[in-house]
Amino acid sequence: MKILGTDIGGTFTDLYLVDDVANEQTIHKVSTTPEDPAEGVVTGVSELCEMTGTAPAAIDYVLHGTTIATNAVLEHEGVTTGMITTENYRDVTHIGRHQRPQNYSVQQDIPWQNRPLVERRYRKTVPERLTATGTVETPLDEAAVREAATELRGDGVEAIAVCFLFSYLDDTHEQRAKEVVEAVCPETYVTASSEVYPQFREFERFTTTAMNAFIGPRVADYISRFKEELVAAGVDAELHVMQSNGGIATEELVVEKPVSLLFSGPAAGVLGGKWRSGADTADEGANNTITLDVGGTSADIGIIDAGEIVEANVRETSIGGYPVMAPMIDIETIGAGGGSIAYVDQGGAFRVGPQSAGAVPGPVSYGRGGTDATVTDAHVALGRIREEFFLGGEMELDTAGARSAIAADIADPLGMDTVTAALGILDIVNNNMANAIRAKTVQKGRDPGTFTLVAFGGAGPLHAADLARELGVERTLIPRNPGVLSAVGLSTTDLQYDYINTEFTLLSAADSEAMAATYEDLVTAAREQLRADGVDPERVTVEMTADCRYEGQGYEVTVPVGSDGDLDSLSTIRERFDRAHAAEFGHNFEDNAVEVVNERVTGYGEMPSADRLALPERATPAEEHVLASEDVQFSVDGEVRTHETPFYDRTDLRSGHTLDGPVIVGEKDSTIVVPPDFRAAVQEYGDIELTRK
Amino acid sequence: MSKTTDTDDTVREQTTPLVDVDDPEDRVDPVQQRVIGGSLVNVCDEMGHKLTRTSYSSIIRESEDFGCALLDEQARQIAETDSTPLQMGPIPAYVRGVVELFEERGDVFREGDVVLHNDPYYGASHAPDFAVVVPVFHEGDLTAFSVTTAHHLDVGADKPGTCIIDTVDAYSESVRLDAVKIVEGGQRNETAWQLIEDNIRVPDMVMGDIEAQISAARVGSDRLQDLFAEFGHDTVKLAGQAMMDYSERMLRQEVADLPDGTYSAEGYIDGYLASEDDAERDVFLAVDLEVDGSDVRVDLSRCADQVDGRPINMPFEGTVVPAVLLVIRSTLLDTETVELVPQNHGITRPVHVHAPEGSIANPRFPAPTIARFCPGNRLADLTMQALADVVPERTCAGIGNLKICTYSGMTDDDEYWVYMDITSGSYGARPGKDGLDATDTLYANTRNNPIEDIESHYPLQVSRYELREDSEGAGQQRGGIGAVREMEFQTPGRVSIEGDGSKYPPWGFDGGHDGTPGAVAVEGEIDADTPRSKMSNKSMAEGQSLRTVGPSGGGWGDPEQRDPAAVAEDVRDGLVSRERAETVYGVVLTEDLGVDATATADRRGD
Repeated sequence: MKILGTDIGGTFTDLYLVDDVANEQTIHKVSTTPEDPAEGVVTGVSELCEMTGTAPAAIDYVLHGTTIATNAVLEHEGVTTGMITTENYRDVTHIGRHQRPQNYSVQQDIPWQNRPLVERRYRKTVPERLTATGTVETPLDEAAVREAATELRGDGVEAIAVCFLFSYLDDTHEQRAKEVVEAVCPETYVTASSEVYPQFREFERFTTTAMNAFIGPRVADYISRFKEELVAAGVDAELHVMQSNGGIATEELVVEKPVSLLFSGPAAGVLGGKWRSGADTADEGANNTITLDVGGTSADIGIIDAGEIVEANVRETSIGGYPVMAPMIDIETIGAGGGSIAYVDQGGAFRVGPQSAGAVPGPVSYGRGGTDATVTDAHVALGRIREEFFLGGEMELDTAGARSAIAADIADPLGMDTVTAALGILDIVNNNMANAIRAKTVQKGRDPGTFTLVAFGGAGPLHAADLARELGVERTLIPRNPGVLSAVGLSTTDLQYDYINTEFTLLSAADSEAMAATYEDLVTAAREQLRADGVDPERVTVEMTADCRYEGQGYEVTVPVGSDGDLDSLSTIRERFDRAHAAEFGHNFEDNAVEVVNERVTGYGEMPSADRLALPERATPAEEHVLASEDVQFSVDGEVRTHETPFYDRTDLRSGHTLDGPVIVGEKDSTIVVPPDFRAAVQEYGDIELTRK
Repeated sequence: MSKTTDTDDTVREQTTPLVDVDDPEDRVDPVQQRVIGGSLVNVCDEMGHKLTRTSYSSIIRESEDFGCALLDEQARQIAETDSTPLQMGPIPAYVRGVVELFEERGDVFREGDVVLHNDPYYGASHAPDFAVVVPVFHEGDLTAFSVTTAHHLDVGADKPGTCIIDTVDAYSESVRLDAVKIVEGGQRNETAWQLIEDNIRVPDMVMGDIEAQISAARVGSDRLQDLFAEFGHDTVKLAGQAMMDYSERMLRQEVADLPDGTYSAEGYIDGYLASEDDAERDVFLAVDLEVDGSDVRVDLSRCADQVDGRPINMPFEGTVVPAVLLVIRSTLLDTETVELVPQNHGITRPVHVHAPEGSIANPRFPAPTIARFCPGNRLADLTMQALADVVPERTCAGIGNLKICTYSGMTDDDEYWVYMDITSGSYGARPGKDGLDATDTLYANTRNNPIEDIESHYPLQVSRYELREDSEGAGQQRGGIGAVREMEFQTPGRVSIEGDGSKYPPWGFDGGHDGTPGAVAVEGEIDADTPRSKMSNKSMAEGQSLRTVGPSGGGWGDPEQRDPAAVAEDVRDGLVSRERAETVYGVVLTEDLGVDATATADRRGD
């Protein structure tokens, strides 16, 4: 089977071709074509096929990570969107939770008021109402729906969200309204809140649904164009797209639920990190992993705990300031990357980021017109990044420029020397990243010392060892091809579908037969979806969980409730919840009633994934491959020390090589810094492990 | 720089400076200052996270009416989380109050103590906001406090809930908790717990919420110890002081840029509008704000005297000072326009607030204070108005004040249910922007509770929640728009409301029109025409509904200067009628609601 993974970034489009029969894995990189991103992919596919002698028609699956949905939200470039909602609640998406995003600001804007996904003129109300128990209080006025749809059609809206209160309890009204709208507006993208995310909390659900509508037609256009261009290039494969939850879904499904794609790109990186760390193999004892993907403007952090990728609580997920309730990997993104700008603020404080010089004008050392000192400039000033490795030596680096910018922006105002200032920039940006990692580990009761840090992206390997020291991480891994790990990660995933039923039920009063029947329905739906995708039933697994809380609490903890479609006993579920609550929060209340809020089923369809390929073993000592030896400055125990440091080209290294720091290993799209107190060892599969000496 | 005693025998000795220097910024390198500063805020965020995740009442878990902060041994705030300012601002005053009480009774802090406190005459914001204070020790010395505050659903007042507007004194509005050690040296004081529990109508929720507060405060203490271990105790202390100095300097720089002088504002709040006593009916508030170099002196001497027997008096330390500070900080160090300056003790140093004893802004014990929210927020609004005189570009026009409601009743099992609902206010227009619609305002920043949550847990139906129409404070920039919220009782019950803004409209600025007052109405009994913003434990029949209307904020600049396209947008959005567009803004619209440029120019006399 031949699988092609492709991830479109801001600057480069990465491609990765796996042939599990010939046991070949090939990487390719082409420039991103921002006007029509599919164009770059098609160019890359053609070149990759030529390189490997593969017939385009022989590719079985194309797996894709995309930022199309993300950008449509962040740049507010969705379509004109309408909403049909319950009478008397026209402004749910405008009032929100009536909280201001910033505590100490009079001049701030509220994203959903300043840049509404659906303007008030396009929010129409119709008589209908369910009660909190799901019974009909006011029947749906279909004539009113028809009238509203007709008006919206006249207004030229391209998408309509149907959002009724309590629709998560019973979707009949929403579904009927959707049918009526589709009959009136056959060309319009229509979506209902009960199918987007059937969970309580109306502002968040309506906003998610409005966002789904807002970006739906954009995503649908993109996917169909992408598919057409692939076909034109001779690729007649199934197209699957990475979702925010780390599962891949068919093109039809992502068009229905584009809101599931908002973290498509970063999710692929987490999967790649998990794969390289061996998190999905039982034998390496490395099933606790922190993934760190550092690029030019931001760092994305993901956690794999006991072999499971940690998912975000839907209460806490947002994009562009809008809440979004959709299952996603818990990815913490902070404004810390190679382009992050270092400066001294008005009050004299030393700061780094979140503002970034981006790709243009970029760091001072790129010589593209950047004038602000950045994190990359600090690395260049300290002698850590060398021209001959940087983008394969295609670009000159302005070291003197980087140093003078750091001197002018930081060192002079703070009265320190340039080297200390450059090391200070790194300390601060590392601390920002370390705090973000602590928020996902220490704050959640996870000891970073028991985790492997997998650092990738262009800038991750530069910071990995320093972060490991700061966090007490014992094992750090720089994967093979750290710059394209997201594309690689795509090929390691499974198809994944989530099904949810929201119903507030006290566990003590629950009817276990009725609950079992609900789960059976959800399991059946998941299995049917995977069968429709053509997945062999042998390769299907289902996971049954419930979101529970002590009655009266507002936050839920998710616990497993059964396996293979069979529900465990209610007392077992109860005990499991008490234990999970104690693990998460440090205490539990065994005398309090437990309420089930959501019943969930996740179906997985296993894809044939690639094995990791071994790197040849070393034949010659590493020392023979030293390319250069230069002075590099490091901060050791709080003191600045200069060390003569050997530089290596990663392509010269073989499995079994070990290098004592200080050492710097360069490759085309990244640089690994091994400080004086670290040691690097090249692993069987070409990953480089960093440990404290 | 360090005290020498190891065994402190008085609380005063415990709270004398420990590792205190004049030049902390020179003693910790700039990088470590950032690193430790970020970590301290991170600790407070973790406390907040823990509190929301484990609390029971919607007022904490959904509305986020809680605060978390770390203080040093002198009760100076080092860092806080990002929940509502009104819960965090008073935290240092709570701790100072606890220290004072300990001193009076000869008590001291010991390791493992947990102190519960709510006395508004000893620093509390008002009685329903309980503080949980955990002292943090280093090598036997008291070195910090980890504190959480939260609004509790019921605190044992003479009426259900905490939106009480009719009470005689401090004894009738709450169970009084004067620095009570509910845990002493790690041992729970079961008698104290029992006593509190027995005095509360919904003990499961409130006692669970107190437990959640304790867990969160302990997390703060543990994490602070981790930081001491990682960076060294003295370094962390000095970094905290450096952060204070930094924040102080940032605020002083801004104040120093303002012309010296005294800037004033005055106005009324809705008192007891049906009362025959003038002093109770319309309550006068005035702010005289003097800029003197890099200091600000805020004199509240012209405010009305305290109102005996009416709980609208404002605790000075716990309510008045945070209200004034909030506005000075949010305008001069607005996080939208100025670099984020950490909120800590340093921010308080340039600001000096004065109110004479016996004033409504500094009442004498035992005047009741539980309903101090609205007057306090209006005081903030008047501080804004005074600043508009000197830095108009950083302020906004008058805000729409809130109404806070307690709904209650009895279940079939003869148990109380109590629910607290915070309605939305609105912001006044800003110099370059319209006001924020239907939002919490100024010193409070809570969240509403989802309709789907309320109806799932209480016999209530939110039968309408929408923006008002044709109510905006007109201006070149229009004021924010208030919301209408209707609550229908599904079973018989009661309602109390503490509110303001039904009589006096939010002020317009620089030619902008005033906003529109709010209203309260009860179906079949009380119409909205008579201004009313308070209600005392009124009984409600099954199926009867209550309507609250939030005021719409004031406008900024001449409405005839408003961009006609912006007026047309509001008309298309149904927020402003065609007629109003024409009569108030001078904008004439075409059939399809476009701007008729010629007719508009004629009408505006351009």
